[in-house]
Amino acid sequence: MLRTLLALALVTLLVGGCGPGADRATARAVTERFFAALGSGDGARACAELGQDTRSKLESQEQKPCREAITGLGLKSAPIAHVDIDIVKAFVRFSNGDAAFLDEGEQGWELSAVGCKRQGTPNEHPYDCDVED
Amino acid sequence: MRTLRNHGLSLFFLAIFLAALVGQAFTGQDSFNHAQAAGHADSLTIWRYVTSSSYWADVLENWQSEYLQFTLYIWVTVWLVQKGSPESKPLDQAGTESDEDQKLGEHATADSPRWARAGGWRTRVYSNSLVTVMLTIWVLSWFGQGVAGRIDYNTQQIDSHEAAVGFLRYFTTSDFWNRTLQNWQSEFLAVGSMAVLSIYLRQRGSPESKPVGTSHEATGTEG
Repeated sequence: MLRTLLALALVTLLVGGCGPGADRATARAVTERFFAALGSGDGARACAELGQDTRSKLESQEQKPCREAITGLGLKSAPIAHVDIDIVKAFVRFSNGDAAFLDEGEQGWELSAVGCKRQGTPNEHPYDCDVED
Repeated sequence: MRTLRNHGLSLFFLAIFLAALVGQAFTGQDSFNHAQAAGHADSLTIWRYVTSSSYWADVLENWQSEYLQFTLYIWVTVWLVQKGSPESKPLDQAGTESDEDQKLGEHATADSPRWARAGGWRTRVYSNSLVTVMLTIWVLSWFGQGVAGRIDYNTQQIDSHEAAVGFLRYFTTSDFWNRTLQNWQSEFLAVGSMAVLSIYLRQRGSPESKPVGTSHEATGTEG
């Protein structure tokens, strides 16, 4: 019985939080690479960090290739305050209150939405994103 | 063969528990991946799914309610009675009963469990060990439901481009309480139904039933 209780506690810890440390670091790195590429004017490298659906929607929306469209949006970087990993989804909150969202796919972690601004209470109202899938 | 016979009840339920857990893994994976495909996202392998919070939130929300059910049932049947039910003690025996009834102290026998014979704090602990362990498992699995459920809930939040919620905040959300209460209501209904239906209905040979020919008025009698 004691072994059962210990196993239950261990499962809880593993599922809850001990696992996604590497994912958290990767999601942070993807986001930082995106903004670093934007900062140096490299639209192609920035677009490489976006998911396919996000790139397609941006190109459809702006009627130009992603590498040109992404640098014209005026997206601003800020220090990352918090990264939350939830199975195959990630939420990145910046120190200025803005956010970015990532999905984990076969290609690894990719940005699904970026340039997201708060609209009311963040837990209850969707962010308004400049680029999203 | 004798082991199988003597432990058939626990072995049977262990087998169907494992079968159901495995079945839940595959059906849950399929359901999860269906939602992933609808959102143009990649599927999870079975191993990735059974180590995910989505699977464990679903498992633990059910475990916690079952252990709460037994915790409450074991504990309240010390004090509350139900006339005519084999699930109840006789009407005049509500409470923790005498040492003689419970085979404690001078009434313990040579084959009484060691801590029942020991006296003092050991006997006090042992006298409440069933509720204590059930309660502990309930608390741990309910906590686990919260931990895993938060992550599962946050995947939906993120899909909707809403902020992920923190650990303490999740315990105040309707998602947590909906998962909790939908399980609690069914457990309480099942136990209550059993207590009442067994007054009037019979199952020959089952210790959960009164003997078939026993009066509806008879309380605390098992077959």
